[in-house]
Amino acid sequence: MDFAIETKDLLRIFKPSRKLFKRKNPNGNGAPEGPVTALENVTTQIREGELFGLLGPNGAGKTTLIKILCTLLLPTAGHAYVAGYDVAKDPFPIREKINMVSGGETSGYGLLTTRENIWMFSQFYGVPSKVAKARIDELFKTFGLWDKRDAKVRTLSSGQRQKMNMVRGFVTDPEILFLDEPTLGLDVNASRVIRDYVMGWVRRQKGKTILLTTHYMMEADEMCDRIAIIDHGRILACDTPENLRRGIRKDTTFRLEVDTLKSTSMFTGMRGVKNFSAKNDIANNTTSLTFILEDESPVSDILSSIQSQGSKIHYLQKSEPTLEDVFISMVGRGLE
Amino acid sequence: MSSAARIHWRSFKWAAWLGWEMDSNWTEPWLFMVYSVIKPIAGAFILVLMYTVFALIGQFRDPDLFSYIYVGNAFFIFVGNTLFGTFQVIQSDREWYQTLRYTYISPISYYTYIVGRAASKVAVAALAVVITLAFGALALGVRFEINLAQLPIFAAAFVLGLFCLVSIGICLAGISFMTAKHTHGLAEGIPGIFYVFCGVLFPLTALPEWAQSVGRGIPLTYWFDLTRRLLLPPNTISTGLGFFNDYEILALLLASSLIFFLMSIGIFKLGEFLARRAGKIDMTTSY
Amino acid sequence: MSTATATSRIPHRVKLNLQAIVGRAYPRVIGANREPSWIFFEAILPLLGIAAYVFIYKALATRALGVILTPTPSAPYGMCGPNPCVDAAQQALFQANSIANTNALIATVVLGGAMVAFWLNVLWSMASQLYWEKEIGNLQLYMMAPMSRMALLGGMAIGGMFMTSVRAITTLVVGILVFTVTLQLGNPLLLLGVFFVTLIALYGMGMMLASLYLLWGREAFNLSALLEEPIFFSSGFYFPVGGFARFGTVGGAMLAFATAIPATLGLDAMRQIIVPGSPSLPIPIPWSQGAYLTPDLEFGLLLVLAVMFLFLARYTLAYLEKLARREGRLTSRHQ
Ligand SMILES: Nc1ncnc2c1ncn2[C@@H]1O[C@H](COP(=O)(O)OP(=O)(O)OP(=O)(O)O)[C@@H](O)[C@H]1O
Ligand SMILES: [Mg+2]
Repeated sequence: MDFAIETKDLLRIFKPSRKLFKRKNPNGNGAPEGPVTALENVTTQIREGELFGLLGPNGAGKTTLIKILCTLLLPTAGHAYVAGYDVAKDPFPIREKINMVSGGETSGYGLLTTRENIWMFSQFYGVPSKVAKARIDELFKTFGLWDKRDAKVRTLSSGQRQKMNMVRGFVTDPEILFLDEPTLGLDVNASRVIRDYVMGWVRRQKGKTILLTTHYMMEADEMCDRIAIIDHGRILACDTPENLRRGIRKDTTFRLEVDTLKSTSMFTGMRGVKNFSAKNDIANNTTSLTFILEDESPVSDILSSIQSQGSKIHYLQKSEPTLEDVFISMVGRGLE
Repeated sequence: MSSAARIHWRSFKWAAWLGWEMDSNWTEPWLFMVYSVIKPIAGAFILVLMYTVFALIGQFRDPDLFSYIYVGNAFFIFVGNTLFGTFQVIQSDREWYQTLRYTYISPISYYTYIVGRAASKVAVAALAVVITLAFGALALGVRFEINLAQLPIFAAAFVLGLFCLVSIGICLAGISFMTAKHTHGLAEGIPGIFYVFCGVLFPLTALPEWAQSVGRGIPLTYWFDLTRRLLLPPNTISTGLGFFNDYEILALLLASSLIFFLMSIGIFKLGEFLARRAGKIDMTTSY
Repeated sequence: MSTATATSRIPHRVKLNLQAIVGRAYPRVIGANREPSWIFFEAILPLLGIAAYVFIYKALATRALGVILTPTPSAPYGMCGPNPCVDAAQQALFQANSIANTNALIATVVLGGAMVAFWLNVLWSMASQLYWEKEIGNLQLYMMAPMSRMALLGGMAIGGMFMTSVRAITTLVVGILVFTVTLQLGNPLLLLGVFFVTLIALYGMGMMLASLYLLWGREAFNLSALLEEPIFFSSGFYFPVGGFARFGTVGGAMLAFATAIPATLGLDAMRQIIVPGSPSLPIPIPWSQGAYLTPDLEFGLLLVLAVMFLFLARYTLAYLEKLARREGRLTSRHQ
């Protein structure tokens, strides 16, 4: 097998659907929803053993891609192969080899204990009962859920629930694991534990692959062997974090902190500005700006237009690009 | 309007609107109408068939008792719909829509909110009752005899009956704060109590003595009896309530309705308190 | 894949699916026990509905007996049906018949009332279950897992059947004791056979509805609520369904429609087997004069229904899954 996951010109369009008895126009004024192109021309190859990250803003198409690879959704056009099988034609052999965890899911039966819930799911994968129970205990200890092992699911906090979901993902010992925002809602320590476990899991064992989405740059940077940046359903770049950063190193990155700006629209399309992001800090009454520039020549234009708004500059620095800068340069906005 | 009254009015109005939207929005209006009518008519058909089968096998016709059963069953639609409409609110908001926590923390009266949510179900029930009665008169030969002079007392009884039903419904809602997902058991069972003990489908005298006493303690018994007295011609059925006149029955209805109203407030507050203490206000119990 | 490996995988899949069935049945069984209030709600309360119907027959019988036993100038020995009884002997015979008939009808109500549990379970915990699973977020996890989807539904059905049997038997036993019903046990094997095939057919129907409900979305719940009474009515839970035959063509059509619902035939067969004095009002066979559906015949028909519903369930589920994957709705929450 060459690749754990491979997609070719993947396209996914969501069409609005009509229901059987549905009222035609619930409010009498709803404009008809148009089709949404969630994925377009997505071609990637993920090698066995890789920890691969998907980075993109809300609505970029990350979850859609994961759903297609998990056999939950069919592509509108193009092909996707998981473990060498076509997701459209051969879902069953794929299902035996994969599992998926998504952040914030509320699966499970409120009346069962956490262990029973996980055990139930493991049975759907044919894990022998004894093995499943041993694995569950071990994972519960690892993720700090041990004291909740006999708690009813409905009594869990949302972070504990998320940890339980992670256990559900690992308990079947899949070859390929999809993690959709796995650290959503977890505190710093818990995220740390999960990240370490995930990295160890892929690297310690042979033949394990993880595809992960996240909104946290640091997480992607630290964990992933390779990252794809995706926006509006298209993959804009795909490489190791190091190479991605190197890719924009010929560009110049400037950071500024200024008095709060009323508008930042004048930077859009300014000569020499490849992209920028702005973030207001209300407490300090300042705006932080990051510019990706072709060279240093637009700096004076930028400064003068800030001053023309009557805003004072607190701080200006030319810096090494971070992954976030890569993201800004491609997507045109920051993540946080 | 005082601010408390405003809060109650706002809660009611908003909840009634929401209830109506949820009840009617799932489909086209005509289908909704069909739906609202088929259920009760089919329910009435069960009784028609039971009567027919008995009459066939036993070679015995009893139109008086049939009218008694038919009218009792028609008015029972109010009981089913009102009770279901009130106590189902907590179950469905908590388990199904999972909105209870947000509604509950908003500045409304949750008691009134539940009453409002039931309003549309009561309205639909009224329609179904009228249709069922009309069907009985036209297709099944049920004879009605209405004295216009008695209309005010009929109206008074009607209002008190609904008031009483809503109170009972809220008592149940208070209880369901604490219980798991048993809407269907409840939906079947609680109306069942009234079905058996209130002389809805058969005269109280068919019950054992102790059960007759239970029936006399429930206001709905008087409601059904009075309603039938006012709608049907005099007959030979011994209801076990014959020694009261219409006004005495109305007075009994009033008294017992007030008692149930006070109970509903008490039980609702208690259920709410216990649920909050046990952290069960927004539990989900699916399995 | 070579044929050798294909066959060697069969035991693996069988094992997987068996495990899945057990896994999915587990929460049903355990979950209900964790919340013991269900015993009250689901086993005791339904008795009230039964009681109401029992007392209707009792009230009718009391008045009928009154007419039989009350002498009038024109009928010194009371009325035997539409005509006066000829003598005391005919009156006594008529009275005995009337009592026996009433007892048979009451037995029918108790039996039907116990079986209602299964129908409600099928409507509310099978048919609407996939939709419910979707809303909690479980469905997409199920759809992603490698077991057969039928194993999932099968697990639900078995868990549901088990729990509901407990409820139904409780209801039946208490009903028999409280209303002093006499039953006969002439053919226990056939009775068991009919019972289980009825359940399989009924739950097969529920499995089929589960997929359809998912397609129809929120409307499904209203559909379940809508179906309750019409089905209690048309399946004859509280009266011998053969009574329809006395309503001419309309009744005949109702009867034909009703026999497609497994509960109808199952109830009628069980009634004929265990209620003494049956068959009164059996289901006539339209094309042969005087013949009616015997329990054996009904058992055969139920077998056909069971196979058909399981097949349809499998088919609709596969269709549903295909549709869900193509359109990207149906399986994920709030869509
Ligand atoms: N079932 C659906 N029907 C219609 N449109 C959909 C459906 N699922 C997703 N979309 C649309 O497809 C696009 C991509 O959605 P997707 O969930 O893949 O984004 P995402 O990258 O996971 O975003 P987020 O970071 O917010 O999770 C969005 O515009 C979304 O509205
Ligand atoms: Mg997403």
